[in-house]
Amino acid sequence: MDIKNLEKEQNEGIESLPSDERRKFLQMGLAVTGVFLGGTLLSLTSVSTAKGRNADPAIPADGQYPYTKHYGMIMRQNHCVGCEKCMDACVETNNVQIGHGAWRTTIQERLTPLDSGREKREFRPILCNQCNRPPCVRVCPTKATYKDPETGIIVMDDKKCIGCKTCMAACPYNARYYSHAKHAIDKCNFCIDTLLAAGEKQTACVTSCPAHVRVFGDLKDTSSEIYKLLHKPDNKIWVIRPDCGALPNVFYMNA
Amino acid sequence: MMKIIFIASGITLLAGSFLLVSNAAATDDYDVKAFGPKSPIVWTKPAKTSFEHRPHTDVAGLECKACHGEIFAMQRGVAQKTGKFTMASLADGMFCGACHDGKRAFASDTKCAACHKIPDDPIVWTKPVKAVVFFHETHGEKSDLKCVSCHDGTFPMQVGVAEKSSNFTMKSIYEGRYCGACHDGDTAFAANTRCNTCHIGRKGYDRLMGRDPYAEKDGH
Ligand code: SF4
Ligand code: SF4
Repeated sequence: MDIKNLEKEQNEGIESLPSDERRKFLQMGLAVTGVFLGGTLLSLTSVSTAKGRNADPAIPADGQYPYTKHYGMIMRQNHCVGCEKCMDACVETNNVQIGHGAWRTTIQERLTPLDSGREKREFRPILCNQCNRPPCVRVCPTKATYKDPETGIIVMDDKKCIGCKTCMAACPYNARYYSHAKHAIDKCNFCIDTLLAAGEKQTACVTSCPAHVRVFGDLKDTSSEIYKLLHKPDNKIWVIRPDCGALPNVFYMNA
Repeated sequence: MMKIIFIASGITLLAGSFLLVSNAAATDDYDVKAFGPKSPIVWTKPAKTSFEHRPHTDVAGLECKACHGEIFAMQRGVAQKTGKFTMASLADGMFCGACHDGKRAFASDTKCAACHKIPDDPIVWTKPVKAVVFFHETHGEKSDLKCVSCHDGTFPMQVGVAEKSSNFTMKSIYEGRYCGACHDGDTAFAANTRCNTCHIGRKGYDRLMGRDPYAEKDGH
């Protein structure tokens, strides 16, 4: 469950990917073109013809996304400079009590030694993937966490949360933490209560990013930037840990 | 027994070093009155510069009053406070430029490193984003660039000046200012590629400052 350790794994061939996984992404309009980093990353490309046509409830039956709005985020990953302005903005907007490993979004850093003696540096922003098939929701004994049918965002009902941390353990992305202020589990919710509810169109991390790394929007809106990036023919897109089958709504690409 | 040997050798070493010190003092009789102050004069503004008296007095044969009086006040800090202590005024024959004109002494726009020390440590900018590094070593020693290639036309030498400018942004770099003067995809890799060659992020900055980037920020 520790993403940092997963990054140390070796590359492997596409054979290692179950055809089942490939099929799942095809249903979302994305075809798998490669497997990297021990299967934790997939390279995807959009397949406009391959929209969902399957009985799986998380996947649209007729090529439609199932929620009234279907929010997602795409990261133009190679533009991230690790400045962490997004983290500051998130903490401030959503009143995240930092410490005890608490974050709603964070930046991962990978350093690879180069022959020149220097290091190659890569940054990767991560947050809750607002999964289409969220393990956290499945395991919660009190239904304190659920997928909001209006937005597709995985939200918390603090009053129902008993703090058992089962969802924390179930989340393949390490995206949840126990909030000592709320006495409940807390997580990224795309600023649904702080900004979207106030009519804002963007999350705090998107607005604060100087490098336009994060693109947030409604995947159902064909005029949105995220839709266009995600469905641009031959745009290579990947998700983190596709093998876990949670079907993330946070995508990655190089711009 | 071991202990005694250690102590004994310690005493010998100590005695030896006393001898060395007194020897050095005997041979190097620096004549402050004739040569001027022994330790170098270091100016920090507008850019770090150092000046040794002895090469100018003892070696070049100048009298104190050759400079002190009209050219350079003897009192510390006066030159810096004039606001005119710049390379431009040196070129006009002021301050060091009175002699360093290419005739009496090497011209002030040559041999920069004789007075200015090229920083060994990376230059680190934290604004507008944390953090960007620059290595003089990669740009000077490992390429054909001279100090004047960048200073001061493209980049002010004085610490913090670029950072204070509202213009010190990727946009203005793309327009050919600052790093963009060379990093245009032609002379050097384009500034909108290989971001993390220079951008080290907040974690890289913490590491550079000797802090653990993953340490809890609230202290418990
Ligand atoms: S990333 Fe984790 S917390 Fe977010 S929806 Fe998926 S399983 Fe739940
Ligand atoms: S603000 Fe943007 S560039 Fe900075 S760390 Fe966050 S995602 Fe990366």
